[in-house]
Amino acid sequence: MSVDFWINVGVLAGIYGIFTLGLQLNAGFIGLLNFGQAGFMAIGAYAVGLLVVDFGWSLWLALLAGILLAVIGGLFVGISSLRLRSDHFAIATIAFAEIVRYVLQNAEFSGGNQGVLGYDEEWRTLSDWALAKLALIGLGDYTQLPLFIAVWLAFLVLLAVLIVLQGTPWGRVLRGIREDEDATAALGKNVFAYKLQSLAIAAALAAVAGFFVALNVTFLYPSVFDPTFTFFGYAMLVLGGFASYGGVVLGGILFWTLLEGTRLFDTALSAGQQASLRFIIVGFFLLLLSRLRPQGLLGNRAEMRVRP
Amino acid sequence: MAGSNEAGKADALQPHGAGTLRLSRPVLLLLVIVVLFAALVALYGFDATAQATVNGLVAGGYLGLGAIGLSLILGILKLVNFAHGDLLVAGAYFTILFGWLGLPLVVAMLFAMIATAALAVLTEKVVWQPLRQAGAGTLQLFLSAIGLALVLRFGIQFFAGSQVRTLGADIVSSITIGPIHLGTLQAVALVTGLVVMAVVGLALRFTGIGKEMRAFADNRALAEVSGINTRRIIDVTWAASGFLAALAGILYAVAIGSFNPNFGVTLLLSLFAATVLGGIGNAYGALIGGLVIGLSQEWSTLLLNARWKPAVGFALLILMLLLMPQGIFGKARRRS
Amino acid sequence: MGVSLKAGLLAGWTAVSILAVTATGPAAAASLDLTIGALLESTGPLSELGPPHEKATKLAVEAANKAAKDAGFDATVTLTSADSQGDPQAALSAARTLVDKNAACIVGPATTPESISVLNGITLQRKISLWPTATSTRLRTVKDGGTIFRTVPADDLQAKALVLAIEKHIGKGKNVAIAYRNEPYGDALSKGFTKNWEDEGGKVVATVVYDPQQASFDSEAGQVVASNADAYVVIDYPETYAKFGAALVRTGKFDAKKLFVPDAMAFAKVPDSIPGEAINGAYGVAAGAPTGTESVALFNKLWDEAGGVPNTSLTANIFDATILCFLSSVEAGSAEPGAITGKVRSVTQEGAPQFTIANLGDAVKAASAGKPIDYVGVSGAFRFMENGDPSSSPYDVFQYQDGKQVTIEQVQVQ
Repeated sequence: MSVDFWINVGVLAGIYGIFTLGLQLNAGFIGLLNFGQAGFMAIGAYAVGLLVVDFGWSLWLALLAGILLAVIGGLFVGISSLRLRSDHFAIATIAFAEIVRYVLQNAEFSGGNQGVLGYDEEWRTLSDWALAKLALIGLGDYTQLPLFIAVWLAFLVLLAVLIVLQGTPWGRVLRGIREDEDATAALGKNVFAYKLQSLAIAAALAAVAGFFVALNVTFLYPSVFDPTFTFFGYAMLVLGGFASYGGVVLGGILFWTLLEGTRLFDTALSAGQQASLRFIIVGFFLLLLSRLRPQGLLGNRAEMRVRP
Repeated sequence: MAGSNEAGKADALQPHGAGTLRLSRPVLLLLVIVVLFAALVALYGFDATAQATVNGLVAGGYLGLGAIGLSLILGILKLVNFAHGDLLVAGAYFTILFGWLGLPLVVAMLFAMIATAALAVLTEKVVWQPLRQAGAGTLQLFLSAIGLALVLRFGIQFFAGSQVRTLGADIVSSITIGPIHLGTLQAVALVTGLVVMAVVGLALRFTGIGKEMRAFADNRALAEVSGINTRRIIDVTWAASGFLAALAGILYAVAIGSFNPNFGVTLLLSLFAATVLGGIGNAYGALIGGLVIGLSQEWSTLLLNARWKPAVGFALLILMLLLMPQGIFGKARRRS
Repeated sequence: MGVSLKAGLLAGWTAVSILAVTATGPAAAASLDLTIGALLESTGPLSELGPPHEKATKLAVEAANKAAKDAGFDATVTLTSADSQGDPQAALSAARTLVDKNAACIVGPATTPESISVLNGITLQRKISLWPTATSTRLRTVKDGGTIFRTVPADDLQAKALVLAIEKHIGKGKNVAIAYRNEPYGDALSKGFTKNWEDEGGKVVATVVYDPQQASFDSEAGQVVASNADAYVVIDYPETYAKFGAALVRTGKFDAKKLFVPDAMAFAKVPDSIPGEAINGAYGVAAGAPTGTESVALFNKLWDEAGGVPNTSLTANIFDATILCFLSSVEAGSAEPGAITGKVRSVTQEGAPQFTIANLGDAVKAASAGKPIDYVGVSGAFRFMENGDPSSSPYDVFQYQDGKQVTIEQVQVQ
């Protein structure tokens, strides 16, 4: 029985792992405090849902469009707000994500409070096909397994791409900007352009994560894209390791195991108290980690620098 | 104002710093407000506009009052305190606790403000001071604040539950002035906000500790060299922030009628908006910022469906950050 | 869509009936170990609903265990709960936890988005009956394989009941102003009401939408009364109405006798947080109970004796859902999810002997003998249509008089 539960944890760890890769690229490698990731995720997910349901697009084409729209969103946020100091930028990006959420909840085009449903036929066909194959090796009962495989394939491929990018001259400039923005600028690098690129890529990653969220919940609704999930992403990031892509994998697995695993305990507490306790634990976790090992489990302390 | 170097630098925290450019911003704001008011009167009539204006001042009063503490922390300690909204909640729930212990409501409120101030100082001792000593970066501080916010909010929910609570005040009695209706408690909250703003502003300007706080905010190293007890300043700042947060939370809780532990986090972004709008670290600014946000949100209900009201606040926040990052009363930002 | 929907329903039904056939019969004498799962809004935007909903499920499980004991029927009912966080994704995770803990049916969640994600993610596949308190008509059209049952009426019935009530007490073709809390429930019900009201020749002069957590509700309240409507419809939960209602009163122009509220605002006793001027004299509609009054009194007594959070709306519906799951399990003689799902109609069968919470022990006796019964709940009798919704039913029109709910008549809604 429990296998299902852990497949679910794996799916969430994978989805928010992709999401957090973007945060890592921003915060970990160029020193950009992007707190609007949930907003980009919402843009990607809703684009997929609406293009399929309202315009009859293929799911896969809609995914590409969703990524594109999220990138446009990232460019828009970046061009307007990148010149702000880092804490102001963080607040501005949260506000952006909240505006996206309020628009989705209140506008007509997005289905408003009634959400978006029925965009996942193509995925279900594929998933059923995969399940039939899995049944051959005795795994046909785990209906979430195809999604798990798809999410982790995407996660690992994107991870590999980012690691490769990190070794290129482009990646080295990013780190240079984080270490000393003025010096990098003095070397003739366009710091603004690099930051913008980093943000756009993060938005694209958020859109991919949003696509998988859409497949997982089968129903798009604004509360799925609450800013809390951006905070969760950062928790995964610092848990796994600052400026470490591998850390995102570890952080994702540990964080979701913690968050979902705490549901499993049977305590004498009331349901309300137990639910509160889960978030108290997450809160303490963030506090302790920031204090005791700010660079995370796989991070390197020397990398830990975000300029004000 | 051009006395010593220290005093000259310390004008970050007061409205009448110097320089025509800075003075013109509040005037400009006042002009914009007057013009908008006139336009709305022309479009929607005096009664509706005046009522929306009063509603805006009330909503803005809570936000402004809540933002003063946030602004002090941000201005003096350079800390983005995501847990501030939950200090408002703590104030309201401490009041319930002391009321439950048998104290009369007003006494319970006073005790709650003191208890919240103590709680704020405690967070400084347990969380912020060690982090500062370890030389924590912005991201570390952000995450700690988020963690602390979760611990506070769900800690309160753990003990008090998430069902709605009420402080049992009379929330329907109202004052009628011509065509305008205003809840009695709302009026009390608004007046309290104005008084507190004046008190904090004056205290910052004229008391010894206030002057030291401003000096500290402006140049920490210099303040330390000149023999100021920085530890004490930080503690006082936290105590004041907690006390004011509790006051704001209690007034909100009393006047709105019912609440649960979520109310702080839902107000938080508006509090940030008020802080940024007013100019970080400025007591007058925070309240004026709150009032401007309240006004724009309530005025927006004349133009748009009220469902867009929260989004209007966020949009204003972004606009202000982009157009006037130093706020209405803040001075041009130096690189830190 | 239509064809595949029918095919889906058909397939689901075939599966259910096969299961039902295999599950009936010899199991009746064996002991029953039933786990009921509850999806609660313990945290998140609807967290004020968490504690009362939790208490409703607890009371129901206690009542179920007591009834089994009274009937001398060897059964243990356990409650397991999880936090759905007001979020479809978290709700799905929470539901998986419940299933992992052997929940045979799931009571809750409170919103339509959560319900759909839980349905598609897990309960449909495992034929676990899902008992949401969400009221959107959308839940009627999703492919649920006959697993969704609602003890709350869907919006369209409720909208018609509101229309009838207003026509009766204010008049036909009048002007109505609507205000609702910004979420799926208010949104859908407001649309449904508007359509029905306008079809009947009435006018909707204002639709005001407000967020539940904001610093002031006075402008919104002002818009409602400024519309000069003959009647107001406010779609809200008591927890938020405490704030909005006070703002309505503060406008100085509000007359509670012109106010009409849906079942989410139906409570036996007005909560302390809602000012009397905001509610006394107001009319409301809720699914009617043919023999309801006695059950309602008993339920309120149970609630008050248990201590803790005060009673609020929809708790009776949640209580009933939990009891129905238990009785279906007794009727099936099994704690197997599909078997329970297949027996829900056998414990709410029209014409069968009627039972209420006053004689739940007798209901268990009858059900364990495999006889069909008709459980008449605290929130009314249940006639589940093929889509799991209650069918056309009598609606109580009530009025709040001196802080108490007084039923004044019944209307028939189809």
